[in-house]
Amino acid sequence: MIEPRGVSPRSRAPAGRAPGAAAPAGGPRAWPWALPVLVLLAPLLLWPLATILWRGLAPEGVPDAAAIADVLGDGYYWERLVFTTAQAVASTAVALLVGLPAAYVFAHIRFPGRAVARALVTVPFVLPTLVVALAFQQLAGPDGLLNDALAWLGLGPVEVVGTLWAILAAHVFYNVSIVIRLVAGVWANLDPRTEEAARLLGAGRWATLREVTLPALAPAIASAAALVFVFSFTSFGVVLVLGGPGLDTLEVVIYRLAIRLVELPAAAVLSTVQIAATVAVLGVYSLLQRRTARPLAQRSERARPLRDTSWTERGLALGVAVVLVLLIVAPLAALMHGAFTVGAAGAVTAANFARAFEDSGRLSFVEPVNAMRWSVTFAGGAALIAVVLGTLAATAIARSRGRFAALADGLLMAPLAVPAVVLGFGFLITFNRGAVDLRGSPWLIVIAHALIAYPFVLRAVLAVLRTLDPRLPEAARVLGASPLAVWRYVELPLAWRALLVGAGFAFVVSLGEFGATAVLQRREFATLPVAIYTSLGRPGLANLGQALAMATILMSVTAAALLLIERVRYRDIGEF
Amino acid sequence: MPARRLPLVRGLVLVAAALLAALAVACTDDAEAPEQPPEPPPPTATPEPAGPTTLTVITHDSFDVSEGLIEQFEREHNAKVELIAGGDANEVVNRAILNAGNPEGDVLFGVDNLSYSRAVAVGVFEEYESSRRGDIPADIRAQFGDSLLLTPIDYGFVNLNFDPAAGDPPSTLEELTEPQWRGKLVVEDPATSSPGLQFLATTIAYFGEGRWQEFWRDLRANEVRVEQGWSDAYYTHFSLYGGDRPLVVSYTSSPAAEFFFSEDPLTEPPTRNVIPGPLFRQVEAAAVLDGTENADLAGKFIDFMLSDAFQQQIPETMFVYPVIGGLELPEWWDWAEVEVETASLEFTADDVDRWIREWTEIMRR
Repeated sequence: MIEPRGVSPRSRAPAGRAPGAAAPAGGPRAWPWALPVLVLLAPLLLWPLATILWRGLAPEGVPDAAAIADVLGDGYYWERLVFTTAQAVASTAVALLVGLPAAYVFAHIRFPGRAVARALVTVPFVLPTLVVALAFQQLAGPDGLLNDALAWLGLGPVEVVGTLWAILAAHVFYNVSIVIRLVAGVWANLDPRTEEAARLLGAGRWATLREVTLPALAPAIASAAALVFVFSFTSFGVVLVLGGPGLDTLEVVIYRLAIRLVELPAAAVLSTVQIAATVAVLGVYSLLQRRTARPLAQRSERARPLRDTSWTERGLALGVAVVLVLLIVAPLAALMHGAFTVGAAGAVTAANFARAFEDSGRLSFVEPVNAMRWSVTFAGGAALIAVVLGTLAATAIARSRGRFAALADGLLMAPLAVPAVVLGFGFLITFNRGAVDLRGSPWLIVIAHALIAYPFVLRAVLAVLRTLDPRLPEAARVLGASPLAVWRYVELPLAWRALLVGAGFAFVVSLGEFGATAVLQRREFATLPVAIYTSLGRPGLANLGQALAMATILMSVTAAALLLIERVRYRDIGEF
Repeated sequence: MPARRLPLVRGLVLVAAALLAALAVACTDDAEAPEQPPEPPPPTATPEPAGPTTLTVITHDSFDVSEGLIEQFEREHNAKVELIAGGDANEVVNRAILNAGNPEGDVLFGVDNLSYSRAVAVGVFEEYESSRRGDIPADIRAQFGDSLLLTPIDYGFVNLNFDPAAGDPPSTLEELTEPQWRGKLVVEDPATSSPGLQFLATTIAYFGEGRWQEFWRDLRANEVRVEQGWSDAYYTHFSLYGGDRPLVVSYTSSPAAEFFFSEDPLTEPPTRNVIPGPLFRQVEAAAVLDGTENADLAGKFIDFMLSDAFQQQIPETMFVYPVIGGLELPEWWDWAEVEVETASLEFTADDVDRWIREWTEIMRR
């Protein structure tokens, strides 16, 4: 394992085939893995999607070519596609810029409160966009802290909300944890001796980072980048709430068309374009990644306590801490501050929490504990299904080669590319008859959440499977381990951390999901985000305070759940 | 070589099956255990007198009523009421159209005079004549062409709410395009928001077809902010809540609601109504869904919504005005009883779609 593979980029050039692909040749062997995925996705995703798209594209039973050409011929929509792509690329770049140094710190330094910090950066995921917009407004609005600080310095004011900057900041706020968690997970287990060998051979600090470390992390970085890109590409709530004229993403355009229903044909055409664009981008990415993936030398976690770090590292940690506090902790703190002060004329109060729990005697009352119970039940169910689906799909892709696999990789990410409103309508008109009349069933929510969540597991696990050194399971086999033992003692431990990271995201994505839930929910099993939106739908300080109190509860439960998930060890491997 | 991986599949499938089974048990337990009485049997064509009949009501998100009143209805009619909150007026109608002939529920509440004609064209409603229909003022029934397919339940107006901290409010719509109100107004997108659409209708009634577009172009030039929904506009941009805009498109009842939901005892609402001219009146109606097996009970529910007890509650549960007059309403509601002249506006479903398309061209592109 000491052999410093890929110290120079040239070492990977000639073969044209990544050592990672030295795993069993693809083709048919991928099918046992792909089949269950297809069996699940066909009825749950493809059928409703095809039903609603067909209804839009062919309202009279035959495709309306003129209407389709009309939409495709409208330059405005192409302009939106270009803008959507550009802002997604920019968001991904900024998320990497902020996330990679943070990933280094999380992977290498065992600073006090690391586990809590890791949970905290993921909390934004569950927050309803409207609540986040409130926090941003309090921080960066005209009377916000940012402008107060600028005014104190004799600068400003700056207007952030309604500009591209607000969208980028929010995308980073939501997505930086994807980069931190996916990359830090791999970085922490990277064998330091490879880097040491490079240093010994005369490579400088930068050269080592560029030629050794980053190439080794490439699959993890690429996985994170792909997720951030797709999330920003199909961004909806953030853009609706923080954007403005000229800043609509394609997803927002689709939403505005689809909810008018008479415009369903145009919405269906644009949905198809959006799905195709996402699949194409991810397919190309998958091809590229396959070329660059290499087996990774891994060993147990290498994080050192703070006192054993160099001054450079401490400086980096400080810088990362400042950025994360400003970008993530400050908005979260603003929300909690609001929960304890709104309606109290400057004083601190628990009245908003008390009110959230107090039965109003109205039908609209959602008991927060009950809502939390349903939120957690849905999230648990969705995460389970997502782990199974995602692991199967990741293995299928890792074992197959060629362009078909790249296409499949792109297609498997499609749930993130399907506009939520379109899928919601699809569910409504598909699962509505006879034996499959699932309208009003809580299962529909679990299914919808699992579909949105499994790509996280897929990406996290695939990043590890692609870097698994094929010689490890081979060695175990040669030494007489049964296939089951190989799986349990070699592959599962290696993929375990990634699986947990993916499961954590799946859980959290479900906890915060609102779009699909709003369409499928019933009062009996309303989730916490639904309860928050219900409160925000009414005027008055009391209602705002109650919504912020429930958002604070949601944040706390999320952080607790993430900490708990991180505690799930595989036997004694622990942090590995 | 592939064989060595097989146990992973088997293991995962087993684990998944076990966990899913556990979840299934958990879900059923959760659904049936607390608060709720056990699931009633599915409704049949000939309801047995034994178990209650389930009545599924699709409503807009703002629907509310006291639990006691609903329980009273359930007792009187041996029914169990289930609610589906289906979005705003437009989305509720969408759901009805997407499920035409195979309705999600038995009765629908929340369709309004801007959205009903699309639903009527598809034929998603059944006629029903409530015994109290005669008590609804004729001009309100006329908003739906006095069609028996729809029974008006409440009405409301959207106007400008003003933060008095900002000095004196504007008195006409034209003033909003002048420099002193630059960057001071936040409105809702008519494509995604019901109050946004109502305000657009008010401006169309005020300026007239062919001229309202100019007003909105000027508004855009005057840095109006467009939000997708009422909550975004009100809670993030209205200066009362820390935003930078003292004017927001909201309801004439919002100041009264602010008063009602204030923490400290106030002597008057913290915001003011600005009524710059005649306002479009939104009327919300209930309808029996075509294809329901519980048409009788659905009709009873509409009667219930027209009952004095329900109508009296409407101000404090939904912050709109009851269609039945002469009822005793809560004292604080006086703040919502403002002089409003109703704008007259003739339109079809196609007109509404065209307004939104043109507005989108002007404001979003």
